[in-house]
This record gives sequence, C-alpha cells and structure tokens, in this order.
Amino acid sequence: MHLAYTPQQQAFRAEVRAWLAANVPPAPLLTLECEEGYHQHVGWERQLASGNWGMVTWPEAYGGRGLDLIEWLIFEEEYWGAGAPLRVNQNGIFLLGPTIMEYGTPEQKERFLTPMAAGEKIWAQAWSEPGAGSDMAAIKTTAFRDGDHYVINGQKTWSSRASFADWGFGLFRTEEGSQRHKGLSFILFDLDTPGVTRRPIRQLHGHPGFAELFFDDVRVPVENRLAGEGEGWNVAMATAGFERGLMLRSPGRFQAAARRLVELFRQHEHAAAPSAREAVARAWMDAQAYAYNTYAVAAKIMAGGKIGAEASLNKIFWSELDRTMHRTAMQLLGAAAELRHLADGSINEWLEGYMFSLSGPIYAGSNEIQRNITAERLLGLPRVGAG
Amino acid sequence: MDMLIAPERLELAEAVRDYLAGTHGPEVLRRLDAGPNRDPAIWQGLVDMGLPGLLVPETHGGLGMGLLDAALIARECGRVCLAEPLVESAFVATPWLIAQGQTANLAAVVAGEYRPVAAHAINGWVADGEGESVASIDPLRRLAAPVEAQSDDPLLLDLGALMSAAQLVGLAEAMLDQAVEYAKIRTQFGQPVGAFQAIKHKLADVSVALEFARPVLWRAAQALDDGAESAALHVSHAKLVATDAAYLSAESAIQVHGAMGYTYEVDLHFWMKRAWALGGAWGSRAFHLARIDAAVIGAAHPIGPENTFA
Repeated sequence: MHLAYTPQQQAFRAEVRAWLAANVPPAPLLTLECEEGYHQHVGWERQLASGNWGMVTWPEAYGGRGLDLIEWLIFEEEYWGAGAPLRVNQNGIFLLGPTIMEYGTPEQKERFLTPMAAGEKIWAQAWSEPGAGSDMAAIKTTAFRDGDHYVINGQKTWSSRASFADWGFGLFRTEEGSQRHKGLSFILFDLDTPGVTRRPIRQLHGHPGFAELFFDDVRVPVENRLAGEGEGWNVAMATAGFERGLMLRSPGRFQAAARRLVELFRQHEHAAAPSAREAVARAWMDAQAYAYNTYAVAAKIMAGGKIGAEASLNKIFWSELDRTMHRTAMQLLGAAAELRHLADGSINEWLEGYMFSLSGPIYAGSNEIQRNITAERLLGLPRVGAG
Repeated sequence: MDMLIAPERLELAEAVRDYLAGTHGPEVLRRLDAGPNRDPAIWQGLVDMGLPGLLVPETHGGLGMGLLDAALIARECGRVCLAEPLVESAFVATPWLIAQGQTANLAAVVAGEYRPVAAHAINGWVADGEGESVASIDPLRRLAAPVEAQSDDPLLLDLGALMSAAQLVGLAEAMLDQAVEYAKIRTQFGQPVGAFQAIKHKLADVSVALEFARPVLWRAAQALDDGAESAALHVSHAKLVATDAAYLSAESAIQVHGAMGYTYEVDLHFWMKRAWALGGAWGSRAFHLARIDAAVIGAAHPIGPENTFA
C-alpha cells in the first residue's frame, strides 16, 4: 500500500485538468434523455475523442491511450471534478467495449471499438423483455439462423438510449426450444436495420430516456455475434460484471456530488435538520469509501485478479449512496425541491439527479437480485428458485 | 498510488489468524469467562509469534513493522474475540511510548514481560491497568479506574481509535460468519432459514457494510503510519464505519439466531459485547463525527474527486 501518486501520474492529472479546463462546456448541457440534449452529448463525445480522451484505457490502435486503471481513475476524478457532461455512450465504452475487448475477434475490435471511442456510434443496451426483467434468463426474443444471417423476432424493453442511439447489443435465443441460460447468444445490431421499430417510453422526468424495441424479421449478419453461438449468457455476465463492478460508476461522480451536497448544506445550514448534518458528513464518508474500494479493486485487477460476485456489493453501495445523497439534497431544498428551475434560472439538478438516482437500485440487476447474489455466492447461503 | 495490501504483508496476519483459529476458539472464551479471564499460556503463544514487539524497531529487538500490519492483526484479534490485552498494549500503548522516545523498556515489551498500559482521558478507565476494578458487560474485559494521570495526547487517541476500528471489523466479520453458519443449519417451514430472502438480504447488508469499511480502515492505518496531516480525519472515518458495521452485524446476527441468540449458551454474546465496548471506547460516535464535520463541512480539508487521497 502506497498512498502517493507518482510524478508521472501527477503530470497526467495536470494534463487532463488543463484539457478539461479549456474544453468543458461552461453551461450544463440539456439532459441526454431528450433529443436535443442527446445530440449535444454526442457532440461532447466527439470533442472528447478529438483530444484522444474517449476511453483512455483502450489500446492506441482503437483510439485509446493505453493507460492503466489508476490513470483511468485519475482521469475520472478530474472529469467529474470539472463538472463535465454525462457520457452518452456509457453503454458502449464502459460495458460493451470491455466485453468486445475480451471476447471479440480482431475484426470485431477494429469494426466496433474504434468508432465507439471516437463517439461516432452511440450504443443502446437491449437486455430486458416484458417477461424477463430481474429474471433475465427468461428471455424469449429469438434469433434463428438463416444462412449467414440471424433473423430476430420479438421484443425488448427498458432499452437505455435506444430512442436515439445508433446500435444496440443484447441477448437473444438462438437455439430453438432452449431453456433458461442455455441457447442464448450475444448479438450486436444496427438500430436502423429494417424491421426494428423503436417506441420511446416517457420516463418519470418526462423525457424518453429508454425505449421499447420491436423486432420483425430483422436480419443481422452472423459476424455480429460476440463469442460462440449459445455462449451469450457467460458473455452477458462478464458485461454485467463490468457494469456492477468497476467502470460504470466511477467514484469521482459521487465524490463530486458529495462536494456539491456539502456546498448546498452550507447555504441551507440555518434551516437544516440536525439529521441533515450527519447525512452530509456521511455522504463524504461513503463517497470516499467507494473511491478507496475502487482503487483497491483496480490494483487487484492490475495484479492479475478478477472481479467476482463482490461486484454486487459495489452496485448496492453506489446506487444507494446516490439515492441517499440526492434525498438529503431534496430535504435541504425544502419548498424549492419541487421546482424544475432554481431562483437563478438554472435547472434544479438535485431534483433531476434524485429522479435518476431512483433508477440506480433498479437497473443493472435490481438490488434485491444483488443481495441474493451476495448471500448465495459470497456468503454461501442456500439457493432457492430457478437460478 | 497502490491500495493493494501486498501479499507478503498479509502473510503474518494469516499466520496469526490460523494460530488463533486453532488455539482460541469459543471454548477458550468460556473457560476464561469461568475463571480469571487471562491465561499466561495464551499470552506466551502471542509472545512466541513476536506480536508484542510487532511495532518495536528492529534495533530494539522487535519486528519493526507498521500500523497497517498491526491493524491487520488487530482485526484477527477481534475475529476471535481475543481476551489478552495484545492490541491495547502492543499496538496502542507501545507505539505511543516509542513516539515519545520512551524506549528504555522495549526489550521487556518484546519479551512479553512488560505490558505497557496507556490511560487516555477520553475513556475514563484503563484496560488491563492497575486500580479499582470497573465492571464491563464484556465478561472478558478488565477495566480499572485510572490511578495515574490520564493523557490527552491526540496521537494516543488516534492509535486507540484505529486499533479499536480494526478489532471491530474482525468482530463484525466473525458475527456475520456465525449468523451465516446458523442460517444454514437452522430449519423452519421445511428449509434452512438462510434460504429465505428476508434473512439473505439482512446478511447481505452486513457484507456491504464490511466491504466498504475495510478499505477505509486500511487507508487510515497507512495514513497514520505515514504521519499524514489528515490522519486523524481518516482514523475517525474508520472508527465510525467500523462501529456501524459491528453494531449492524451484531444486531443482524442476534436476529438470525432468534431466541437462541438471546442466551448465554450461544457464543455470539461474547463478540457482541466486545463490539459494544470498543464502539464507545477511544472516542464516541459524536466525537469522531465532530472531527469529520469540522474537516468536511467546516472546510478544513480539501474534498471532491481530485482529493481522494488528500
């Protein structure tokens, strides 16, 4: 254990800080859940890529910088510290990207990773179906072979970014009559393929943040399948590991929120409940704990280790931390909590953030599922039901 | 920057864990509870492993190791609910004496013949010290009213709080293990109670609390060892989250044990009572929260993502 950055790491931090200071938009972008805001965020992705900051851990051949996870954390700390926009391509860069890195062929890496890092193709995920939510192995949408194509039929739902994105990825049943985890394949598809119908779903904030996808004889080339036919479940679990474990929610985001919460508390201190004071201190503590843990996990991976079921602990912790911090802010705001714009005309980011934080314990495997995984795989308690 | 605890640093703690697991089971706690609470043979075993001299410089015959190593071992002491005063003597009082340049008796410390005791004003009692006995709910604690002047040195307090946090993590881990084992064997409604989600989720919450208490503890230990300016803040953070995790683990474990957990017959109560004791020792929740409040809300410490390791 060594709690100091090397001169090289400090120099990298300075480089990131300088670029962000010169490039981060001075005013917040519109929410990426609305069409105009989506396009603003795509523009930001391309600006990031122009500075070669799209995904710093990827090899240079795919538009990255070939940096290690500590440098990635430094980048993320500076990114969130600078108040930079949300990453509209997070499904791609943080989830699918690492999965392609692990399971993709050289051709797939070249074809998908480079435009992903460049912000040219924005990705949606397509896991859930009307009958397959927490129980993802209940997937029914089929992709049966017809020569060198799969023909997809069925429906996906709660598909994040699918209202506006370019491509999607998900699990499909490629073996007729197969059950549960077997016979599933991981397939990437162009959302503009004939036969794909997107139906945006209005979320509680009023914007179409996710969509239903209908597949009607959608023909997708076989080379769009990641890993072997029927191996989709394991590939999806690896993706879920990235999602829950390390990359999707870097600590910088929560540390930045905790700092804003401290500032909000100082403004409202005269009217704050005594419990708010502890909640604010706790927000700092928990965001810090999450950061230390992420640094420890990063160091473990760099030493050749892997993320296992403890990814579930991570997902529970960050999602509930996020909700608690935003709830505290809503309580501090009092009568202003409900206002969509604050007195200075700015968007009430705490309200928007609180609404978003309510989705955290639900998506990426609900926290009830994560607690089951924790109890069964980490603690060894007996499994029940269909696994 | 490296938050990984090097495998070679874990080896000694693992050796201590194995030794204590083999020699300091619940039956030992019951024997000590029925008798004089302390056992020279157990102490000698710890001395033979070199533990009283863990933090004593090699020039004085010790192992010359650091506070992170000590915290790793204090956690193991918590895990077995060790009765001997190793942690308070060797990992709190000894490094405090060394920090003050009091090195005259270190050979006797390493030999296990002299067990320094440090009285801090924040406690109002001394563990394993001379003086009129004070009753603790923990049957294996030996508290005394302090006869000598009590220190108010913040370093002593930080050492005590850090090592209490480390023991609390070990206590919490042990209570979780006990609850898990009981939930696997106790059947109701035709299945192990651990198959019920109400039980699973309760115990999963303890896992979460521990997973995010441990790195805070190691970071605090390293910061105090480094003599970092912000070490007190990180020690307070560790003490708070370790105390919270231990209370949560204790309350969850007794609930999972049902009425059995409320008996003196089940081992759990030894660990639970130690957690209550250490949770309040070396600075209450209010004390440590106030230090964090002053640093974070009072703006004495830089916060935010760019200041993770400030």
